[in-house]
Amino acid sequence: MKVYHVAYLGYDSEAALALESGLKQAGFKFTSLGADSEGIRKAAEIQPDIIIWDIGDVREGQVKIPAEEMKKAGLEKQCIVAVVPSADIEGAIQSLASGAIDFIFKPLKDSPVPRIIAALNTCQKKRRIDWYSRIIEDTNNQIKGILATMEDPAYIVSPQYQILYMNRAAEEIFGEGLRGGTCHHVFYDRTEPCEVCAKSKGPARWRAVLKNGKSYRFISAIIRNSTGEIEKLAVGTDITPDEEVKKIHRTFISNVSHDLRTPLAAIDQYVSIMLDGLGGELTDEQKQYLQVIKRSSFRLHNLIENLIDANNILSGHFKLTMEVTTIPQILEIVLPRLKAQAEDSNLTFQLSVPDDLPPIYADKARIAQVVANLVGNAIKFTEQGIVQLRAGFMPRDEGRIIVSVEDTGIGIPKEDLGKIFELFYRVEKDKVYVEEGAGLGLSISREIVRAHGGTLWVESMEGMGSAFHFTLPVQKGLRV
Amino acid sequence: MGDKEKQKILVADDDRDLVLALSIRLKAAGYEVICAYDGEEAFRLSQEHKPDLIILDVRMPAGGGFSSIDRLKHSLTTRNIPVIFLTAFDDEEMREQARTLGAAGYFRKPFDDEEFMRTISQVLGKT
Repeated sequence: MKVYHVAYLGYDSEAALALESGLKQAGFKFTSLGADSEGIRKAAEIQPDIIIWDIGDVREGQVKIPAEEMKKAGLEKQCIVAVVPSADIEGAIQSLASGAIDFIFKPLKDSPVPRIIAALNTCQKKRRIDWYSRIIEDTNNQIKGILATMEDPAYIVSPQYQILYMNRAAEEIFGEGLRGGTCHHVFYDRTEPCEVCAKSKGPARWRAVLKNGKSYRFISAIIRNSTGEIEKLAVGTDITPDEEVKKIHRTFISNVSHDLRTPLAAIDQYVSIMLDGLGGELTDEQKQYLQVIKRSSFRLHNLIENLIDANNILSGHFKLTMEVTTIPQILEIVLPRLKAQAEDSNLTFQLSVPDDLPPIYADKARIAQVVANLVGNAIKFTEQGIVQLRAGFMPRDEGRIIVSVEDTGIGIPKEDLGKIFELFYRVEKDKVYVEEGAGLGLSISREIVRAHGGTLWVESMEGMGSAFHFTLPVQKGLRV
Repeated sequence: MGDKEKQKILVADDDRDLVLALSIRLKAAGYEVICAYDGEEAFRLSQEHKPDLIILDVRMPAGGGFSSIDRLKHSLTTRNIPVIFLTAFDDEEMREQARTLGAAGYFRKPFDDEEFMRTISQVLGKT
């Protein structure tokens, strides 16, 4: 069993003796030292478990316990019990105020053992609490340091969406002194909570363009506070593409596409020179072969343009040239070509566009591209029958126009329905393998429609044809 | 064109194959063609022959299309000759720059023959 060591610092030999006999009897080790610097130094050497400090005679006015001096000398862990003359209530109070955890009146009437054991117990608890609070303080400082030096904005909100904490990066974006405000109001100028929070109380991910004009990806975690309420910590990462990287990327794509198009131009030119008879008379067979070269070159050209397009969309270099226009105006751009294409494939092409469709605000060429892609696909995957292009109001929604392309073709297997909008995805089955296309068209089309604030989706059953629909918002109050 | 004096077109591109193709097509359409393979040559031959139309590639050695048009438009001899760009670059900024520099047209390679020839005769008809 551990032997506890008690050191008495004082000059009252009677009190010392009484303490010594009582404590030694109970198995304590006891040392008597002077109540001065020398006594403190010696006590620090022997490192007792408890220090008993005799405040002496009250008339000498020596009441204050030199707790600081003891700490400096190396008596940090030790608790101090004061010995106070029994008449000196003031001395007892002052000794507690100056660092003692308990006091014993002298002359001693009872055994000091229970008080010393109680003091040891208190001392141990106090040491543990001190240790915990130091850890809490250290951790707190570390977390504060991390949050403050972080370049990512971080904030904590209450279940009532009140901002409880914002780090320096968040304050730089949103401003200082915003604690207490509601996050959706202060951060996003909204009167209602954002969808992410309204939908789920749990951890979430979302993207937002903040007040500094940059795009951020946020991740939130839940924190249960001391009263059991769930607070949310959100940290955002700046995902705005770096301007320098963007520029390098653009230059690279521009150069690569330049170099891919250059030889194509020469191929095209010589083929058409020959087809036009500028290189001499050709046999029918030669003409036929040249047509193959021409078609292949056209396909390669389309593929290159689609790749560049897909790249631009993925990297965010996607610029729309918006204007007030109408569906017929858009169709004008592509219809002659699409009709000819359908005719070449011996398909019936049906068009149904009502006259009273309101104007829309769109990039004409881009929407024409979507129509061309959808009708082109319909023709490609339809052996015989009809390809139909329709436009009209979205049922039960006068605010949106719906454009549909339907065919009587091979349809799309159920397992592929969800994937056909993925980049480079192609439905590949032995019997329906179509060699044209790289799986870019639909992803591009969907992005174009999305950028216009619309949606593009498909309905299809294998063997029963397909129907692709896309919507575009009507531009209210606009007249062409 | 008939037997009147043929209209002269200068074609400048460092892709010699394409210059040859264009000259075959333009000659077949009744034009006289002067070929150049870099910016410097394009400028020099334009000064010398005073063509009715200049077709310029954008990326060429010894002065690309943009610096060439700038020189041509600053020279008294060539300032009024229309310039059409023919380039594999497809960049809105470049189109804009071409317009600002006073180009009469901008074609991206690969290009549609018919449209190209139509533009040429239109531009030449104006002058």
